[in-house]
Amino acid sequence: MDGIHDLGGKQGYGPIDVDDDGEAFHHDWEGREWGIAQCARTPGITIDWWRHCRELIMPEDYLGRPYFDSWAQTDFATYIEAGWMTLDEIDAGKSLSDDSAAKPPPALSVEQVLDEDRAHAFRFDAEIEAMPFYSVGQQIRAARNGHAGHTRLPQYVRGRLGVIHAYHGAHVFPDLSARGKEVHQPLYSVMFEAAELWPEAAGSKDKVYLDLWESYLLEPRE
Amino acid sequence: MTDFDADKVADIHRELHSHLPSEPALRVKALETLLVDKGLVNSQTIDAWVETYSEEIGPKRGARVVAKAWCDPEYHKRLLADAPAAIDELGYLGKATAHLNVVENTEQVHNLVVCTLCSCYPFSILGIAPAWYKAAAYRARAVRDPRGVLAEFGVDLDDEVEVRIWDSTAELRYLVLPQRPAGTDGLSEEQLAALVTRNSMIGTDRDLAPR
Repeated sequence: MDGIHDLGGKQGYGPIDVDDDGEAFHHDWEGREWGIAQCARTPGITIDWWRHCRELIMPEDYLGRPYFDSWAQTDFATYIEAGWMTLDEIDAGKSLSDDSAAKPPPALSVEQVLDEDRAHAFRFDAEIEAMPFYSVGQQIRAARNGHAGHTRLPQYVRGRLGVIHAYHGAHVFPDLSARGKEVHQPLYSVMFEAAELWPEAAGSKDKVYLDLWESYLLEPRE
Repeated sequence: MTDFDADKVADIHRELHSHLPSEPALRVKALETLLVDKGLVNSQTIDAWVETYSEEIGPKRGARVVAKAWCDPEYHKRLLADAPAAIDELGYLGKATAHLNVVENTEQVHNLVVCTLCSCYPFSILGIAPAWYKAAAYRARAVRDPRGVLAEFGVDLDDEVEVRIWDSTAELRYLVLPQRPAGTDGLSEEQLAALVTRNSMIGTDRDLAPR
């Protein structure tokens, strides 16, 4: 979707607040939200559906709220959509269902969470029969249009010419994964000259690399 | 079970706008309370995730990988060829690093990592991303005004240096291998690791100085 999240190249956001004390969390609630997001996932959820649910946050909330707050908002939305909780329960601040039989999952120690983190080294690639259509060094054009659903083709490269820099194998295609369908498709690292993307970069030798799926790409003359 | 219904979720977000408590701390508290009531999470496990990412997993891991690559030419080769396997040698493979890719700075090339579409980050090797990495200003500007962004971080690049910006649009994650600072020949791997800043592994720092 051409949503507020697609920020690459947008102007007017001002200077970057570069100060950082190196701490992982600056408020207790940030850590709590991080932990919740790691251990409370609705059945069947995919990373792409979760990302799409974050993109669907109202623009003023997306830009106006702190980062982990937008995670909390996304979790609320996925939990309500999947039937884990209701708006009435949020208003009440407590569960309104009969939870007398509910038992918490076992408590994990730091050692067990470290194991869990290792187990979260998820791979997204797979062998497929189809050969990659494009080859390294070949010029391509990024597709001109997106669509209303989740996609990982940012607006700032659409319609622009790039060069295949590397082939990564076939990876889960996010546009379908966000709809619950796991389909693998060739994924490429694509290099765009900054001068191809931005009027003020004329003469620059800087380069922007994106990882793009095959169906995001066209032949240069298309 | 989710229905993957985007229209429904958009409606839920609009409803939540007026139903959620006013402060982030209260919102997250409400979320945890409901999940605990329903037996869906254990608060002690949340404690353990917070402690793990506050104390155990963080940029010190990435710094150790960098220092090892500086000291051991064979490890350097393995890291550039197959980063997930190379970090696994140190036990650091984990969340968001199964498709890690290492990009190396040279005299002629400077690498900068961003995620313009969300805030993808190699968690198991760098921990939680700094606030600026997740902020709209960095996500918007890194791909368009990289030299302006770098100047704000105190990195002034010669015009001859080529900037390569890596936008994390898929499940690949990027770690910058900074250049080893001059005058560090006598330092141990551990002493070298202490010179490696988090920002240098994202690309918003370049010239690491012996301390």
